[in-house]
Amino acid sequence: MNHSELLTQLSEQYVSTNQWCALWPEIALALLAVLVLLIDLFAGRLRARAVPFAAIAGQVVIFAVLLGKLGTCDPADSGLLFSGMILPTTLSEVMRLFFLLASILVCWLGMLYLRKQDLPRMEFYCLTLIVTAALMLLGQSSNFVMLFVALETVTIGFYILVSYGRNSIFSLEGGLKYLVLGGTSTAILLFGIVLLYGAAGDPSLPVHSGDSLNFLALEQFLAANPNNVLAKVGMVLVLCGVCFKIGAVPFQIWIPDVYQGAPTPVTAFLAVSSKAAGFIVLINLVTGPFGPMASLTVPLLSAITVVTILFGNLTALGQRNVKRVMGLSGIAHAGYLLLGIVALIQGVELAAWAVIFYLFTYLFGSFTVFGVMSHLAGPDDENQEVDHYVNLARRQPFLAGVLAIGLGSLAGIPPLAGFIGKVFLFVVAFQANLYLLLGVAILGVVISIYYYFGWMREAFFQEQTWPEGKEEQLAPIKVCLPHKVAMAALAIITVLLGIYQGGFGGGF
Amino acid sequence: MSTVGLNAYLFVAGLLFALGFFGVLLRRNTLVIYMCMELMLNAVNLALVAFSRFNRTMDGNLFVFFIITVAAAEVAVGLAIIVALYRKRRTVQVEELNALSN
Repeated sequence: MNHSELLTQLSEQYVSTNQWCALWPEIALALLAVLVLLIDLFAGRLRARAVPFAAIAGQVVIFAVLLGKLGTCDPADSGLLFSGMILPTTLSEVMRLFFLLASILVCWLGMLYLRKQDLPRMEFYCLTLIVTAALMLLGQSSNFVMLFVALETVTIGFYILVSYGRNSIFSLEGGLKYLVLGGTSTAILLFGIVLLYGAAGDPSLPVHSGDSLNFLALEQFLAANPNNVLAKVGMVLVLCGVCFKIGAVPFQIWIPDVYQGAPTPVTAFLAVSSKAAGFIVLINLVTGPFGPMASLTVPLLSAITVVTILFGNLTALGQRNVKRVMGLSGIAHAGYLLLGIVALIQGVELAAWAVIFYLFTYLFGSFTVFGVMSHLAGPDDENQEVDHYVNLARRQPFLAGVLAIGLGSLAGIPPLAGFIGKVFLFVVAFQANLYLLLGVAILGVVISIYYYFGWMREAFFQEQTWPEGKEEQLAPIKVCLPHKVAMAALAIITVLLGIYQGGFGGGF
Repeated sequence: MSTVGLNAYLFVAGLLFALGFFGVLLRRNTLVIYMCMELMLNAVNLALVAFSRFNRTMDGNLFVFFIITVAAAEVAVGLAIIVALYRKRRTVQVEELNALSN
């Protein structure tokens, strides 16, 4: 066989893995983003309604088709796609649904937010769609180049979204802080990737690989060389970069300021999708390339878990701004989720599903609360204090009820979804014998009840008369029917998930 | 044939990375902080090219192009944010950008 024949054979072998159909949801989202641009260009006066409608309806269609296909074919059958860049798994299929659902809800919150602001509308939906497509790719990437490109598409999209309120110094300042800290964490992650690449490609070491950015090749290399210093440093740096995404201590400094400055829908997007993306990457890493290095990852992540849970809950105690409360309590939620990750490294197979289930309960609980927040926010989006919720039960009983369900779920009150989510995480932690971490997590949950209920108490029990000139605080709030339906649906799902978990609960 | 060894490249890359990192932490002007971030990315590029050359694989060289492209996108967005903020606040000094801290 001569040289050119060999080359043809090799290239055919690679081309056969380029199955574009496997990426249809991402491609459809990108096309939808272009469609939104065109609608904005040609729809004329209709555009204010047509753009959000097209964005949400398009995503609902993709979501429905994806949900219908779930479980009909095993994604593992297709194996590695695009020469090892993409590896679809059952987990990543479920996460695709998660990101789409979150994106639909972000677009819905965006409608509420943009109504009160003098800002261009179309770009918000366009960016949300593109970021979501990148998030879906991120969950399936099995090569560090793919991971980096998808992660940066997400991050750069978020830079723009955080500073979207360009008339507000708070939004711009939040954007700048996210930019500087996000850029630094990207560089740290990249340096880690480079060290891993260099170590695993070293021809003088056993099991070195010519394709050392690939997760599979890296896993084989680390299994054969568990004491390589370069690879160990690289691994720690990569984990640091991912910990920034999920907001684990000591990489949480950006969270309170960015969450407060960002427009409320973007805060929700950051809290739910960005955090979930960090966790799906973490799951892929610890079950894939970093699997052989459990002796290093377990102590490291355990320490981060303890500090994260305590820090998040203790700092949230004294906060009066509700966006900061959501941010800081989000750090604590990241801590509970890390508990599941540590259990996963210890070999508890169910832990990955416990993490995914918790992310879903967090999605429903958070968006319920963010929906209420979007209704109560004035034109000053960053200024949302707990005091603004005083007498909410009298002004708008529906919002108060929905808020109570959302906050109760986040706090983990039975029988709501958040309670079951926490139980699943604690069960897998128990199976992995992580008693110390379990104790810290339970302590954290107890502390969290204090500040979540403080917020709820303002809404329900605080009877206060307002001084002159502040009567608008007592005016009833109008909620349109579609928004009422959406929030009621979220609240009902939160209750139902707490009672019935379907296939999810079967393994426990 | 005498060439510069791998460790020399890695040392320079590590040095550049540390310079960038501490620059981000210690400098007070947003634009200088921004330049320090670019320095960190270029340190990564140098290390990638060095590894690629000494390990005789092409992946590293290819990855550099992705990093350069992404860095360009990041600069475009970042400078836009800094300019918008400057128009509002008339300053790019870190200590004066404190509307969000409490």
